[in-house]
Amino acid sequence: MENAIEIINLHKRFGEVKALDGLSFTVRPGEIYGLIGPNGAGKTTALRILATLIKPSAGSARIFGLDVEKNPNDVRRIISYLPEEAGAYKNLSGLEYLEFMAAFYFANKEEAQESILEAARISGLGKRLKDKVKTYSKGMTRRLLIARALMMKPRLAILDEPTSGLDIIHAHHIRRVIQNYVEKHGVTVMLSSHNMLEVEFLCTRVALINRGRILIEGTPDEIKSRYGVDNLEEAFMEATGSA
Amino acid sequence: MPSALSNLVKKEIKEMLRDPKILLGMVLMPLIVFPIMGAAINMSTSTIEKSMRTATLAVMKLDHGPMADQLIASFKALNVSLLEIQASPINEAIRNLEKTNITTLIVIPPGFTENLTSGLKGELDVYAILRSISLSEGAKASAANAPISIYEKTLVYQAVKQAFPDRKPENVLDPIAVKSYVMFRGRLLNISPEFLQGIFMSQSFGFPMVIMLLLISAMQIAATSISIEKEEKTLETLLTLPVRRLSILAGKLAGSIVVAAAGAIAAIIGVNFYAASIFSFAPAGSVDLAELGLSLSPLAYFLLGVTMFVTIISALALAICIAVFSENVREAQSLIGPFSLIVILPSLVLMFADIDVLPFYFQIILYLMPYTHSILASKAAFIGDYITMLRSIACISLFTIVVLYIAAKIFTTEKVITARLTLRKPKIRQ
Repeated sequence: MENAIEIINLHKRFGEVKALDGLSFTVRPGEIYGLIGPNGAGKTTALRILATLIKPSAGSARIFGLDVEKNPNDVRRIISYLPEEAGAYKNLSGLEYLEFMAAFYFANKEEAQESILEAARISGLGKRLKDKVKTYSKGMTRRLLIARALMMKPRLAILDEPTSGLDIIHAHHIRRVIQNYVEKHGVTVMLSSHNMLEVEFLCTRVALINRGRILIEGTPDEIKSRYGVDNLEEAFMEATGSA
Repeated sequence: MPSALSNLVKKEIKEMLRDPKILLGMVLMPLIVFPIMGAAINMSTSTIEKSMRTATLAVMKLDHGPMADQLIASFKALNVSLLEIQASPINEAIRNLEKTNITTLIVIPPGFTENLTSGLKGELDVYAILRSISLSEGAKASAANAPISIYEKTLVYQAVKQAFPDRKPENVLDPIAVKSYVMFRGRLLNISPEFLQGIFMSQSFGFPMVIMLLLISAMQIAATSISIEKEEKTLETLLTLPVRRLSILAGKLAGSIVVAAAGAIAAIIGVNFYAASIFSFAPAGSVDLAELGLSLSPLAYFLLGVTMFVTIISALALAICIAVFSENVREAQSLIGPFSLIVILPSLVLMFADIDVLPFYFQIILYLMPYTHSILASKAAFIGDYITMLRSIACISLFTIVVLYIAAKIFTTEKVITARLTLRKPKIRQ
């Protein structure tokens, strides 16, 4: 079966800074795969390469067999990307924002309308969708963006810190949405997070990265048992030698 | 389904025109501020005129001859508000007048009549009483000048009439009548050179001013548009959508053109109101400019349109290239600031002078600035100099192609996300 993501020996340099240093992993279709690591570990760089925003200095990254460097336009048709702490267009209403996004994916008006209704359901924003985005709280904006990322049923959703900066209620809502959506539509999700509870709750497999390379990879249970600890946070501390 | 480009353009226009900062700063402010400025200046001018009309003069007559009486009668005939005061020491009279609203005291000293009738200068002492420092107060203080001058002319007319009873005094005083003709572009026009100069002046000021306003507002809008996307990280999302990067760039350019045009129209309307309120460039009298050969021909209109289009596209693309290096709107505005010089300098210089009369080195500097050519083309349009227009269009088009190429390069690479303006610290050798 074709892998959803196949990253082989990926390197990325920004001037003298080595952001990725031989990163390799694969993600199977339908998985929720989590990248965890300290700030500056290379999580966002890896996700940006997958999202076709930046190019690797060396190595390769494939999404459902498509090389992100050679076929970026084809890759963009099957992915959706949610940047960390992203905003939406403040002077559009939530609904206008969703309509704007849907127009890039659906030639058929009914299909576009259907995806907008789906996004409205995912966001749970109800009548507030008619209000301008600038009146939304941070949590509401994030719900709108998650809905946008999932509304077109991408084959791969790339979510950078999906619940970053959100309160418990909004974070819980978003985690539930992601989990339900994956179960319902078989979408593959690649996410990064600092929140170990979130990663343990959501991810089928996890890669712990530091300084642009993988330290350990496996299911949350495998990683915990390998270090003989109770949770991923402790495993993280052991793996990075910070314990 | 709307095309990706039209979807992007609609979004750009909605997003920008609904932004209170852009709507207020670029569209509503010029429409409101310029007319208010004009009205304020107009009101001040009216106040000055009114205060001059309502100024009351005081006259102290120390001469008892007929000429003193004639002077006062002349003032009264002009409906000047006049208060005749008793003879008293000047300091005391002025102290008393300070308590009233009188601003000028005219003292007719003894010997006034005698001097005038014996061929000497009749002297008058005029004391201005200022209560504050303002234009209207200053105008009040000089309220005596006009009636005195009119009386003076009356005396001169009387003298001329006595000396030349068989001639009209105005013919003696102004013996030569000049009729002006101008040869312009092979046609003999029955107008004065000053009249023609007035028309040229309005064009010299008008077009560089319009180009300057249009370009600066367009650059600010385009820079804001890209830097907001970077600040909010919406650009990252946009660049991962299934739409060509060049469509995203074209959408930004087209959206900015529409908003900049709205801003420019607002600025032109506002400036027109302002100009109409305080002064007029147009020479007096109704003259058909087409008759004078000074209106634009269809070809000139077309070439002027091409010039403006290419100019705006280059300014927008330049602003986008610069704003890509910023991380937020404030940074983008700061980066754009110095680049405005290449718009402002040629506009200001060419408002007042033709490029040919400038020093050679300065001509070279101006010719190297791309927007000099836009202004030269607009000036050439009015005299039907199509060769200059085409040459200027070629220059500005070349610049536009280069800037568009750079913008396209930036948009199709990761630079659009990763570009930052950083000042590298010098390495210190250990």
